[in-house]
Amino acid sequence: MSPESLLLIPLFPLLGAIVCGALGPRLGRQNVGTIASGMVLGAFALSVAAFVAVWNGAEPAVAGNWFTVGAFHVGAGLVVDRLTAVMLLVVTGVGFLIHVYSTGYMADDPSPGRFFAYLNLFVAAMLVLVLADNLVLLFVGWEGVGLCSYLLIGFWYEDEKNAQAGKKAFIANRVGDFGFTLAVFALFALFGTAQFGQLRAAAAGLDPSALLHQGAFAGWTLGGALTLVCLLFALGVTGKSAQIPLYVWLPDAMAGPTPVSALIHAATMVTAGVYLVSRLSFLFALSPVAMLVLALIGGGTAAFAAIIAFAQNDLKKVLAYSTISQLGYMVMATGVGAFWAAIFHLVTHACFKALLFLGAGSVIHGLHGEQDMRKMGGLRKRLPQTAAAFGVATVAITGVLPLSGFFSKDAILGLALSSSNRLFPWSPVLLYAVGTAAALGTAFYMWRAFALTFGGAPRSEAAEHGHEAPISMTLVTWILALASIAALVLGLPLEGGAPIERFLEPVFAQAMHALPALVPARETGVPWALYGVALLVAWAGLAGAWLLYVGPGQAAPAKLAASAPWAYSLVANKFYVDEIYDLLVVRPLFGGARVVWRLIDAGLIDGVLVRGTGWFVRVFSQVVLRPLQDGDAQRYATAMALGAVAMLWLLLR
Amino acid sequence: MTDFPILTLLVFLPLLGAVLVGLLPREEQGQQRALGLGFMLATLGVACWAAAAFDGRAGAPEFQLQTTVPWVKGLGLSYHVGIDGFALVLVLLTAVLGPLVVLSAFSAVKERVKEFVIALLVLQTAMLGAFLALDLVLFYVFWELMLVPMYLLIGIWGSERRLYAAVKFFVYTMAGSLLMLIAILYVYFAVAGPGGHTFDYLEILKAAPKLPRATQVWLFSAFAISFAIKVPMVPLHTWLPDAHTEAPAAGSVILAGVLLKMGGFGFLRYAFPLFPRGAFELRTTLAVLAVVGILYGALMCLAQRDMKRLVAYSSVSHLGFVMLGLSAFTVEGLSGGVYQMLNHGVSTGALFVLVGILYERRHTRALADYGGLARVVPGLAAAWLLVTLASIGLPGTNGFVGEFLILAGSWTSRLANAPVIASVAAAGVILGAVYMLWMYQRVFFGKVRHRENERLADLSGREWAVLAPLAALIVVMGVWPQPWLDWIQPSAERLVQRMGDARAAEVGLAPISEPVFAPAPPRAAPAPGAAPGHPFPQIPPNILRQLMRRHH
Repeated sequence: MSPESLLLIPLFPLLGAIVCGALGPRLGRQNVGTIASGMVLGAFALSVAAFVAVWNGAEPAVAGNWFTVGAFHVGAGLVVDRLTAVMLLVVTGVGFLIHVYSTGYMADDPSPGRFFAYLNLFVAAMLVLVLADNLVLLFVGWEGVGLCSYLLIGFWYEDEKNAQAGKKAFIANRVGDFGFTLAVFALFALFGTAQFGQLRAAAAGLDPSALLHQGAFAGWTLGGALTLVCLLFALGVTGKSAQIPLYVWLPDAMAGPTPVSALIHAATMVTAGVYLVSRLSFLFALSPVAMLVLALIGGGTAAFAAIIAFAQNDLKKVLAYSTISQLGYMVMATGVGAFWAAIFHLVTHACFKALLFLGAGSVIHGLHGEQDMRKMGGLRKRLPQTAAAFGVATVAITGVLPLSGFFSKDAILGLALSSSNRLFPWSPVLLYAVGTAAALGTAFYMWRAFALTFGGAPRSEAAEHGHEAPISMTLVTWILALASIAALVLGLPLEGGAPIERFLEPVFAQAMHALPALVPARETGVPWALYGVALLVAWAGLAGAWLLYVGPGQAAPAKLAASAPWAYSLVANKFYVDEIYDLLVVRPLFGGARVVWRLIDAGLIDGVLVRGTGWFVRVFSQVVLRPLQDGDAQRYATAMALGAVAMLWLLLR
Repeated sequence: MTDFPILTLLVFLPLLGAVLVGLLPREEQGQQRALGLGFMLATLGVACWAAAAFDGRAGAPEFQLQTTVPWVKGLGLSYHVGIDGFALVLVLLTAVLGPLVVLSAFSAVKERVKEFVIALLVLQTAMLGAFLALDLVLFYVFWELMLVPMYLLIGIWGSERRLYAAVKFFVYTMAGSLLMLIAILYVYFAVAGPGGHTFDYLEILKAAPKLPRATQVWLFSAFAISFAIKVPMVPLHTWLPDAHTEAPAAGSVILAGVLLKMGGFGFLRYAFPLFPRGAFELRTTLAVLAVVGILYGALMCLAQRDMKRLVAYSSVSHLGFVMLGLSAFTVEGLSGGVYQMLNHGVSTGALFVLVGILYERRHTRALADYGGLARVVPGLAAAWLLVTLASIGLPGTNGFVGEFLILAGSWTSRLANAPVIASVAAAGVILGAVYMLWMYQRVFFGKVRHRENERLADLSGREWAVLAPLAALIVVMGVWPQPWLDWIQPSAERLVQRMGDARAAEVGLAPISEPVFAPAPPRAAPAPGAAPGHPFPQIPPNILRQLMRRHH
């Protein structure tokens, strides 16, 4: 492929967005979906071509200038390396499937043009994000996907709740982006560039203990400055990839149409943070502090979100917390230097989590909008195909059989156990334990969701009359089910490393070279013991869920909740984090704004200073000046005479 | 035709239009509007002519297309106009907004149409004159001339509390102007060119920077206060919310679009280059006030119930960014600041047009009176969304380029604690999203709560014609900013050079124009030796080594 055709990859969906957005109502429902899907298919075809080129050893790239002022050069170049090639296939591949699914799912929506315009725009922005050859252009995609997420979460804007959720997502991401932009400025100050190739070259062989004597970081060590940069990026990661403390927007984001949840809030956009860290692995590897922070945030989020998922009754909410938890695994992987495992899990998660969401979408579609699992049950009979595909994905994510998710999750846990960080020697054991506990939780809440939705008997009118999804939707779920199984090939523990590990090796070589101080070389061979533990944990979760929600223990969950009501409501209410943020941030901000407005703007500045000046002039003139001019001619004459004398004295003195 | 006085034609063409509109019969409102629009368009044409005649290459003379006519010889007073990069882009902004403002008011203003059009045309002349004047008294005359039509626009065609707002606007600005006048007179007597005392800008520019530091601090302060009121900078901003709220939509567009830019322009043209030593003394104060303005203005937005007042406070916040960029004294910061002036003119101008369109239909500015409009007026909602995104600086819109350059330029500047200042300012970007999206949600999302809103008309063809150029500028200036930046940058470089020279002459320090890092490689030219098709053709700069070098 010619490098220039890289430009077409994001341009295809962008064109689709413009056409669908501008001509939507005139094109007709069917055509809009076809055009939008076709554009993504075109991008997919080009992505395959780019992947083949990369496979053959090339690195297609186009250079470009966006703006140059003084010493700042901000490029607009695109480049495909092995990491980008993988991301391209995920984004366009899963993206295309979800577009096709949407033509069925949104068949009755009044504004398909707007929907597909946003969806295409999202794909375009996501492609810019993964193709950009510098951080500023990456940021264009980064904020662009955030915008589309905002628009699509609030797609059904007439419900104020949806609009609110969209805004929350945008603002939480803005907080993260604040860190991102500051990190970019710091990199400009340190290296004078934001282009990956130049940064990579500049970071090679750096001595973190070197002292900086000039510029904004005068007096810092290089390592200290890089740690600051990486921590600022990490803030951006917690926003985009929904980690503690900024994860709160993702559960609410489920207000959007379900295909959107599958594409944006599971498969692609939320993994952008993981992509960013992997892209900058050569910088993060130089900062043990940032690596440790990422690992702890990731591990903590994986477990925390899994616990919350226990007590959710909304099917999509369970999947949302599951996504947060799985993203936690990926972030943890980057934090222990297991970059390839993070990307591997990103790929497998994109398949099985998209499948879970699309399956949930088929259920919701078939039940005319019902999302509460307590009102489902027995759907394996009404929606057999969806149940089977959903089952495959559940097997993949929980790892009861060694499908793709089993290998990707286990790669992360294994590498976490064999990692080391000189700042915190206990981190490998801790991370492995937390990750394994989260895996147990995952197995439990996912099988619980599966059991409540598809097992047992129907528990509502809607569930009794549910209907299977149309072929455009079931076909897509089957393709994703196949992908969820087939992706296991990428992670087989072959001699010399898993296939995807070897494929991505050049991307992370520099980071791994810088890491030995941090992470010892990985033990080779098949980690049978870890596999055994993983299988045991997965089956334990499955058994627990079966026991409590299908088998003999069905009364137990209610009893358990009743025996410790405070604990249950704490978990069911998501640890009240939303309420705490509302109390600590939102209310003080808006309330404080009104107080400051009244007190300082209207009170002090306008009331006291501005009006005070006016009042002073008026009073002064009334009290002092007016009495002087009362029309008494004799006094005027006296004053004139005195004045004349005074002037004469001054002049003749 | 190089000797043709393009700039003089540019300045006085609107005034000629005003005279001709004055001659039209009172009842011919259509003709008055059409003639006004025609003259505004002709002015835009002349501005484009000036831009085409302007030589933006490095090494070109600083002030071009100059015309000098002695005015009062004995006083060293002359009619002297000329244009540099800063003035050029602001003149273009003014010229673009002119016809749009007239067009936007076609249906909103139905009374005293003739006077209204005349006021707008006179204002146009005054603003263009102030940008182009190269004589301090000439500048002052145009500066004061701007006040009168704006005062009338607010006072006659404004809403309920228009008189209060108009008087407040007038007195605030006048107070600042008087300080500036005194400073101008002081400079006149303190400085002498080859031909004796003079008001000529270029002569004063040579001599004034050599004034003693203490004097410069006072002169800089006098100019700075006058300009800071116009910007406006906190705490001198309280005239703005009132003026914006009460002014007719067209007045708000001009006020936000151009008049506020006068403040920033004043710093660039007068306060900084004439009194560099004073500027260095007070730049930290200026930068801190700018950052306070960013956050304070954003915070005030969260407290508003009135959409025009909200947009007015958002201007305070955005102009804070502009002032931060200007006070960074780096090429990037200055260029970004000027670029952000243009952006603010385009996007906040568009925002006031949009608010005006709503007001014309519903006659209320209260946010609570709206809600759910996205279904009723999808066209308006789409346009508003684009402008909102520009206002919050989404990459791909013009606002991002400006904000990025300002923050990056101030981060790497030599301001005391520059990274801290820039980081605090960057937090304003978060708040910007909060209040703009909050407003958008309250107006367009949710259900229609008021029955009157059910039958609102979507944008008319004329309204699309007003908004389309602004929308196009938002996108084009976001995607392809280089042409404007190429105009701005040589002027910014000159100013930084000038400031640096003054600094060096004073304390023997290294001039601040010394690059903090290595100069950028030439654009679009692959470095020699780079393999063709290699993804990163440029050689990585060797900046770190420079940063690790100890001071000599």
